[in-house]
Amino acid sequence: MTRVTRRKILKGAAAAAAGVALPVRAYAAGEAVKVGILTPLTGAGGADGPRMLKAMQAVFDEVNKAGGVDGRMFQTVVEDDQTNPEAAVRAARKLIEVDKVPIIMGTWASSVTTAVLPVCWESKTFMMTVSGADSISLLPHQGYLVRTQPTSKLQSIAHASYIASTGKMKIGVIGIQAPFAQSTKEHLDATIKAAGGSVVSHVIYEKDKSTYRSEIDQVMKANPDNLYLNGYAPDTVVVLRDLYKAGIELPKFCQSYAVPQSTLDANPPEVSEGVVTGSPSADVDSTAYKLAADRLGMREIDAYVAQATDWASLAVLTFAKSKEATGSAFKDNVRKVSQGDGVKVYSAIEGLKAISEGKEINYEGASGPCDFNEIGDIAKCRFRFTQVRNGKLEFLKIV
Amino acid sequence: MEILQLIVNGIMSGTILAVPAIGLTVIFAVLRFTNFALASHMTIGAYAGLIANATFGLPVIPSLIVAFVGAGLVGWLSDEFVLKPLRASGFITTAIGSIALTIGLENIVRFIFGNQMRGYDLPIRRDWRFSGLHISPQQVESLVIAIVVMGLLFVFLSMTRTGKAMRAVADNPMLAAIKGINADRIAGIVSFVGMGLAGVGGMLIGLDTTIDPLVGFKTVLSIFAAAVVGGFGSIPGAVVGALVIGIGEELSLLVLSPAYRTAVGFIAILLVLTLRPRGLLGARAY
Amino acid sequence: MEHYLIAMGVTAGIYAIMALGMNVIWGMAGLINLGLVGFFAVGAYTSALLTVKLGWPLAAGIVSGTALAALVGIGVSLITVRMRGDYLAIVTLGFAETLRVVMSNELWIANGTDGLSGIPGPLRGTLDPHAFNLLFLGIVWTVVAVLFVFLQRLSFSPFGRVLRGIRDDEGVVEVAGKNVVLFKAKAFAVGSGALGLAGALYGHFTSYIAPDLFAPLLTLYIKLSLLTGGLGNNVGAIVGAVLIVFFLEATRFIVPLVPAVSSVQAASLREILIAATLLLILRWRAKGLIPERIANISLPPPTAEARTQPI
Repeated sequence: MTRVTRRKILKGAAAAAAGVALPVRAYAAGEAVKVGILTPLTGAGGADGPRMLKAMQAVFDEVNKAGGVDGRMFQTVVEDDQTNPEAAVRAARKLIEVDKVPIIMGTWASSVTTAVLPVCWESKTFMMTVSGADSISLLPHQGYLVRTQPTSKLQSIAHASYIASTGKMKIGVIGIQAPFAQSTKEHLDATIKAAGGSVVSHVIYEKDKSTYRSEIDQVMKANPDNLYLNGYAPDTVVVLRDLYKAGIELPKFCQSYAVPQSTLDANPPEVSEGVVTGSPSADVDSTAYKLAADRLGMREIDAYVAQATDWASLAVLTFAKSKEATGSAFKDNVRKVSQGDGVKVYSAIEGLKAISEGKEINYEGASGPCDFNEIGDIAKCRFRFTQVRNGKLEFLKIV
Repeated sequence: MEILQLIVNGIMSGTILAVPAIGLTVIFAVLRFTNFALASHMTIGAYAGLIANATFGLPVIPSLIVAFVGAGLVGWLSDEFVLKPLRASGFITTAIGSIALTIGLENIVRFIFGNQMRGYDLPIRRDWRFSGLHISPQQVESLVIAIVVMGLLFVFLSMTRTGKAMRAVADNPMLAAIKGINADRIAGIVSFVGMGLAGVGGMLIGLDTTIDPLVGFKTVLSIFAAAVVGGFGSIPGAVVGALVIGIGEELSLLVLSPAYRTAVGFIAILLVLTLRPRGLLGARAY
Repeated sequence: MEHYLIAMGVTAGIYAIMALGMNVIWGMAGLINLGLVGFFAVGAYTSALLTVKLGWPLAAGIVSGTALAALVGIGVSLITVRMRGDYLAIVTLGFAETLRVVMSNELWIANGTDGLSGIPGPLRGTLDPHAFNLLFLGIVWTVVAVLFVFLQRLSFSPFGRVLRGIRDDEGVVEVAGKNVVLFKAKAFAVGSGALGLAGALYGHFTSYIAPDLFAPLLTLYIKLSLLTGGLGNNVGAIVGAVLIVFFLEATRFIVPLVPAVSSVQAASLREILIAATLLLILRWRAKGLIPERIANISLPPPTAEARTQPI
């Protein structure tokens, strides 16, 4: 009796599996270059993933509209990483083994990236990410990773220098428990000390709380003359509201991804008035940032959107250079378009044109020059500072 | 003075926890299962209030009523069609079912509204300051609203026929059935009221922050802790439990890093249940 | 495609080990445990730390991880022994969350939220990745088989009967002169041990663990496995685990067929589908696809049980 049932189940499962597999194979026969997008659409990263996804797709759409690369189009395959390493690894395996994507971009949480990266390098799949944990690029990834997010060291040194340039010397740091929390505080402290100041207080809070009043009181105890908010968007907005309510008018600094336009839109303008944000950036004369913003119909874009734009553009240009859609081709050729003495290009379209004219190129991205060192980290970059005025981000300067 | 400020902050956050905690405990008292779908109903309430406030421009109080009715209706429907049929299979199955329900509902909200943060269309006010303390008028308002809601609930339970019937079912379902109280109708009303309160709680939290589809999920652990510490099934217990958790989480900052806040709720549960296995105000519903 | 199926086979095996462990605690003894990921984490962290930091051999690490998870299980069971089911649910949930918070904040134990990477696996590096996955598939399913035989014997032993008795009516068992507390603790020990074992294996398979891994979502998937297969039934636990992994993955292929939805909507649709399936199973197959064959097992009348006991 039970045996029949079991056999039935197995048959059903096999039939379902076959039915499911068919359309995938049909795609694989096509000419398109597949690009795996693995980004958080649900869970804690759900606020940032969709924005990055949109930016990536905008670039691929633009390239496809212009005829692709030698007639080959780019086809994105999107999977939700659920902001969970276990689910993300399963999704990555599907992208790699079933869709046969040579490249995966878009992971956000450091834990997700660290979990997915071994799967990628073992199967020779190239990876691009925004995750900030310093430990990621130190993994034995054999070159299958580039990261457009500067290390927390590079960022905090730049941020601290900016803060020092405003004459404020007593930083109060309040931030979320995350891989970058400790190293950010240390580098802020080291840099501001060189200018004669110090980090006077450092409070790490837990994510997902509906108020951080007491944490703010704690950080204020040491009388800082400016605040460094080291969180993600959902918690930073709570901190900003609580700061406003408490009437604390100190200069506030945070990462640009912590105050995306959606945060500004969802709150009364006075909450975020005067907040200065920093994000990695290219040279002053680079048009990449403006092009990326225009493509998305925005005035200012945050660091995540800028980086997502750069992944997609780099993928297109690297493929155009190597004409080979494999992970190792991306690994071996990405630096041939991202850096070097070639002619500077600021978008995928511009780069494609230059390549077709037989020129060497050097892509300068919306998030910076995109020059990678041997472990896949941003070698050096400039920083773009903006300030919120009346619910809008206003450009301050590039350093 | 710092301790006083922490206690004030704790009372404020505790009172907001109390509203959904009461919802949870009322459902438990009558229906005898832990309804994990509380989280998504808080979210639904927050979004129902958002539509009322941001789209239709209603002020806070009418928006809260919309939040109550919206979450209550969904609560009643989901109980009628999803959870009620499961209750015959025991409380564990029903509780697991309610976890699945909450994931389903959260994602329906995400499907409709997306992940973006949204805020109520309300001015944000500065804290009142006196003798070294600072208190947010928003939170005081929420405190008053929470107290009024609790008062209304008390009147409903002790004065109206339906309320009395609910208490009768909670005390002794068998006797209530013999007395001719329609248990199905009571279950529907309890689900409506309980989840409605969750919705109000969700919106009260949203008023203080911004909302996204995870707004309920983020606070639900503290709410469970509050209900358990106070004595599951006891309404005054839920209020006391919420205050204990609220104040406890704040006072813990004196000795622990703020990153350990969630753990405080758990430690409170363990302490209380070890000393008083039925919670602080020992629920009668056993 | 076959590489993907192999990797999912390993995942299914690890889910099956967890489902078997949960089945002892929940299916047989009727104790609710929402802190599944906590025990999974204890096993994973113990084995990973011992092999990475102290250079222990893999087997020793895995056994220690299993043992420590079992010990923690005994501890939790003794603390919560007099609690009603619904309190137990919340306490175990709180246990797992607290463990996650501690592992996130105490950087000195295992790098906090950065997590532990480079966890060794059997012959990793010597074999090519696909052969490694195949080897691991063999290891995991051997463990499943051994655990299955062990639990099957346990389930039909007097011990298993007492556990069912506790599940169905604790009072009767107590009257029959059994030490209910001891039996509950043993059930927790066996079940948590299996959860820890699964965690240890998972760490050695993926080479990386972090606090984010131990989110409540996994607990739900395992519950789903058990309910799908049939609670109280070891065969059901394994079948259920395989079906759940199959279903979780299948939704990836089904949802893109829905036209005109954004990616976020597709992602939420996928989770709605998973939730709805569980609810449908609960509604129409409350006993699971392979119901526990209870009539033959747990009905030696309590009197017979009592008779064998010295009074």
